[in-house]
Amino acid sequence: MTLRLGRHHFPDDATLMMAIVNRTPDSFYDKGATWAEDKAFDRVAQVVDEGAEMVDIGGIKAAPGEFIDEDEEKRRVVDFVARVRSAYPSLVISVDTWRASVGRAVCQAGADVLNDAWGGADPELVDVAAAFGAAIICTHTGGATPRTRPYRVEYDDVVRSAISDTVAYAYRAVAAGVDRRSVVIDPAHDFGKNTFHSLELTRRLGEMVDTGWPVLVSLSNKDFVGESLDLPVGSRLTGTLAATAVSALAGARIFRVHEVVETRQTVDMVNTIAGRRPPARAIRGLQ
Amino acid sequence: MLVPGTLALLPEYAGLADPVLDLRLACLEAVSWLGSSSDVVVLGDEQGTRVGHALLAAAGAPAGARPAEGSAAYLVVGNGSARRSEKAPGHLDERAFAFDDGLRAALASSDANWSSYDLGADLLASLDGIRELLGLLPPGCPAVIDYDDDPFGVQYWVMRWRCES
Repeated sequence: MTLRLGRHHFPDDATLMMAIVNRTPDSFYDKGATWAEDKAFDRVAQVVDEGAEMVDIGGIKAAPGEFIDEDEEKRRVVDFVARVRSAYPSLVISVDTWRASVGRAVCQAGADVLNDAWGGADPELVDVAAAFGAAIICTHTGGATPRTRPYRVEYDDVVRSAISDTVAYAYRAVAAGVDRRSVVIDPAHDFGKNTFHSLELTRRLGEMVDTGWPVLVSLSNKDFVGESLDLPVGSRLTGTLAATAVSALAGARIFRVHEVVETRQTVDMVNTIAGRRPPARAIRGLQ
Repeated sequence: MLVPGTLALLPEYAGLADPVLDLRLACLEAVSWLGSSSDVVVLGDEQGTRVGHALLAAAGAPAGARPAEGSAAYLVVGNGSARRSEKAPGHLDERAFAFDDGLRAALASSDANWSSYDLGADLLASLDGIRELLGLLPPGCPAVIDYDDDPFGVQYWVMRWRCES
C-alpha cells in the first residue's frame, strides 16, 4: 500500500529506515548518549547522512523507570522536533509517544508520524493524527500498560492477536479520520511478549503483511534477539540483522533501527534476492 | 553497422545504475541511424542476435527477417577479445592487443582477407557476425567509428558503414 507519512509520500515498493533518536537519559541501548539536545541533533545528522528516511524521536524509555509527566515529555521532544523540522524539511519525523497531548504538541511543531508504541493506551491519539494529517503506527501490546514488562503473558495465538488488535486499531484510526494511506501496523516485538512470542511473530510476519496494511518492525537489539543468542545489549547486531532479513523477505516496509547502514544493506540485499529490487550495478559475466 | 554482444545491454539484466551507459547510448544512436533506412537484418551468434534485437526494440527500429533486395541494412553483433586485462572475463592474454588492433584495421577498411578466426576463438572474441560482415562489405568501404573501448577487458566497437549498391 502506498504510504503517506504526513507531508511525505512513498511508492508501493519503498522500504524505509526509521532511525531511533532518544531524548532520554536512560534508554536501554544508548544509555543516555543523546540525552543532551545537541547530541541528539548530531545523531539526526548522522542518520540522515547514513540514508535514513525517518527518525523516531522518543522522550520516555519503554522500560519501567522514573515517572515522566506530560510536561516533562513535551520539554524533551517538542522543541527538538521543531529544530529537526527546520533543519531537515524532507525528513520524516516520527515521535514515539502514547499521549494525545504530546502528540498534538509535536504535530504542531512539525511531526509527521505518531508512533504509538503502547497500542492505543490513549484513545484520543488517533484524533490528533487525524486533525494534523499525521500518520499513526498501530502497535500490538496485548493490552499492556505503558512502561510495563511482560509477566507470564500467554496468547492462544500471538500472531492472530497481533493481527486482530492492530487491524482493529487501524480501522479505528481510519474511522477517526486518519488517511488510510497513513496507517501502519507493528507487531511490537518484546512489548507484552516473551521471546517465543517475538520469534513466532517474526517467523509468521507474512500473515501480518497479508492484511494489506504496511508493516513496521522494531527489532533492533531487543531482548528476544539477546535471549535467542545469549548475548547482551551491544552484541546483538548480527542477530538483529538476521531477524531483519526474515522480516524483509516477508514484506515489512519500515524498519525501526539503531544501525541504519547495516540494516539498509540487509533489507536491500533481501529485496534484491526476492526480485523486488534490481541489483545496484550488474556487470559480472555480462560484459 | 557493428555493435558488441554485451549482455548487460539486455533489459533483463538492468540494474539501478547502468554499467554500460556510454556504450548503450552509442549503440542506440547508431541503431536509430540504421533503422531509419530500411528493414534491418541482425547477424551474429545466438546471444548476439538477442542483443541486436533488444537494441532495435529499444530504439524503436524495425527488424526484418531477410535482406530486402538492394536495400538491406545489417545490424551485426560481435566484438574483439575478452582477454585484455587481469579482470577481464578470460583473464589477460597479451596477444589480445595486437589481435584487436588487426581486427579494428580490417573492419575500418573492409578487409575481407582478414583471417585470424582461430586466434580470435582463443581470445574469446565474438566473430560469427563479423565473419559475415566482412563477407558483405565491398572492399575499401570505410567505417565510421562511434565507440572504441574496452571498459571491462573486452574490446567493444560501434561502427557504421554506408555502402552504395
